[in-house]
Amino acid sequence: MKWVRHGWAVLAAVIVLILVSSPRAVRAAEIGVTDKEIVVGAGVDLTGAVANWGVNIKAGMEAVFNRVNDAGGVYGRQIRLITYDHVYQPPKAVANAKRLVERDKVFIMMGHLGTPTTKAIMGYLEEHKVPNVFPATLASLWATSGKWHVGDVATYADQTWLIIDYLVKERKLTRIASFYQDDEYGLDGHLAGKARLQHYGLEYIAQVDYKRADIDFSSQAAKLKESGAEAVILQAVYREPPRLAEQCHAMGYNPLFIGPSPIVLDKTIELGGKHVEDVIGVEVWPPPTDPGPFLDQYRADMQKYAPHLPLDMTNLYGYQKAALFVEALQRAGRDLTRESLLQAITTIKDWDPGWGLKYSYGGDDRRVMSRAARLVMVKEGKWVRMSDWMELEEGGRR
Amino acid sequence: MIEILASQVVSGLATGCVYALVALGFVLIYKATDVVNFAQGEFVMASGFISYTLLIRYGLPYWLVFCLTILLSGVMGVVLERVVVRPIMSAPIFSIVIATIGASTVMRSAAGIIYGYDVLPLPTIFSKEPIQLGILNFTPMDVGVIGCSIVIMLALYLFFKWTKTGMAMRATAQSQTAAQLMGVSVKQIFSLTWAISAGIGGIAGVLIAPIIYLDPNLGTIGVKAFAGAILGGFGSIPGAIIGGMLLGVLENLSGYFFNAGIKQVSTYILLILVLIIRPSGLFGAVAMKKV
Repeated sequence: MKWVRHGWAVLAAVIVLILVSSPRAVRAAEIGVTDKEIVVGAGVDLTGAVANWGVNIKAGMEAVFNRVNDAGGVYGRQIRLITYDHVYQPPKAVANAKRLVERDKVFIMMGHLGTPTTKAIMGYLEEHKVPNVFPATLASLWATSGKWHVGDVATYADQTWLIIDYLVKERKLTRIASFYQDDEYGLDGHLAGKARLQHYGLEYIAQVDYKRADIDFSSQAAKLKESGAEAVILQAVYREPPRLAEQCHAMGYNPLFIGPSPIVLDKTIELGGKHVEDVIGVEVWPPPTDPGPFLDQYRADMQKYAPHLPLDMTNLYGYQKAALFVEALQRAGRDLTRESLLQAITTIKDWDPGWGLKYSYGGDDRRVMSRAARLVMVKEGKWVRMSDWMELEEGGRR
Repeated sequence: MIEILASQVVSGLATGCVYALVALGFVLIYKATDVVNFAQGEFVMASGFISYTLLIRYGLPYWLVFCLTILLSGVMGVVLERVVVRPIMSAPIFSIVIATIGASTVMRSAAGIIYGYDVLPLPTIFSKEPIQLGILNFTPMDVGVIGCSIVIMLALYLFFKWTKTGMAMRATAQSQTAAQLMGVSVKQIFSLTWAISAGIGGIAGVLIAPIIYLDPNLGTIGVKAFAGAILGGFGSIPGAIIGGMLLGVLENLSGYFFNAGIKQVSTYILLILVLIIRPSGLFGAVAMKKV
């Protein structure tokens, strides 16, 4: 049986030789990057309370990656996106992040959905030096938490400052209430609003919270009505504003409802019908129906790679993230590392993918790529523009 | 103040009625077959999607959809009993309960696969325009939900009290052996019980889905309803109804007087308090178990 043992030895030698001579082994430059592939991870909600966002953001990002891959990839590398469903629950987000980082060995976390869910994995990502690039949450946290995090568009805090400025200066309102989700998401805008009101010598006339996945808001509506608030700021997602508006109207209470970008969806109108008429929102990227070569490309890509999904703010949100990421990859060059990617992102200045909205790195103490916003309002069942793009001030909690 | 409190009670009663209907479904199956059916909430969800399909895809008139949904939901109950529960009827109760949890997961995933996890609006014939009547502020929707629930509960009461089948069901609940000796087909009664429970769940679905929107996670309402059933004393039909209604009102009032966090746990705080003071629930008989 000596020849068998001999055979094993030869086989082992050949395997070692192959491993040593393969380009992969020679250039083990970065985790999740080979000559052929870049592995990107994301935790999204596919079956939970904000599944509409999760499904669409994933599809939007995939549309860009598929197009880029079909055209030969970035420096010959195909981009592979791995997503897991965290059901908008922080504990599941942590488990998924560990799976992505330790088992799938992703290069970066990209487009991770939800403020509470992304905050839950923040420390873990820093510990493992995994960049958290353009998470699908606009909390001001990502703009101010140092080198491993970078956001894409204007934060909830920035947007809430715009809302308060608009209510106080233009509408001359002083009785302003806050309806907010009781977690890191709702609190970001809620606290920023509080700070901005103080700037005007005002404070919230009522502060009413709700829990993620709550479905009934009659007690919140009652409190708001009793406070006599003229305007209610909605630090909420798409499901709550229609129901809250409906329950306020049922009590014969008709305040001005206004909220940051997560409510600016066709879904809000579909669910709320006439109850959300005249609701004001903040838009931080153009809607899918706007003109421009970038949006033409988006419409063509969605038609090709995700024909089952209607064109929507949600998938466009994922799409623009992925486009921005691909731009950064191209700038980072052939020798791609986590450091070189993060460095490349900081070089983006006045970059317009072709839709009139420019991306510029905001600086090390303000790590977002755009601070443009405009006000929109529901008119006859459609979001209608109220203002042109404005460059927002940096909103904060102080 | 009093005006707002009154409107809180009315809208709480409307939600509570839906809890009560689902709780009723739990109790009926439990009384007849000793099984706690954790897929009860999924009947609510599934019937929401059934009526959505019939209304939106096929454009059928509302009342026809209402009746068809209840019927189809009942059929679903029978199928579940035949396919999931009956083959393991001789297994320990615990195994059957786990099987119903499994069925609930399967139903939820199936709805997700077919309809996606998006939130959908379900039309209703009840208007949501506010009506002011003295100090009371309410919508026809609230009245419709409360009215429909009361009609269903009355109909059930009459059915159990006066019809032969109803009596056979009560007999089976008391003693399966004795009922069988009297010529009652226990198997048929089991199927019928599941059909009625699922049918009631179906009504709950058609009533609540337009209010809180339709998605595959709608069935989680079953958890609250289950708490309502325990509150009333699991196994008591009036208990389930009152427990469910109490819960709806309590949730609204605690949300009004405190915050969303307290509202979320108020159900369970009350539940624990009641169980400490009266372990058999508000209306429950002191349980005796054969060993």
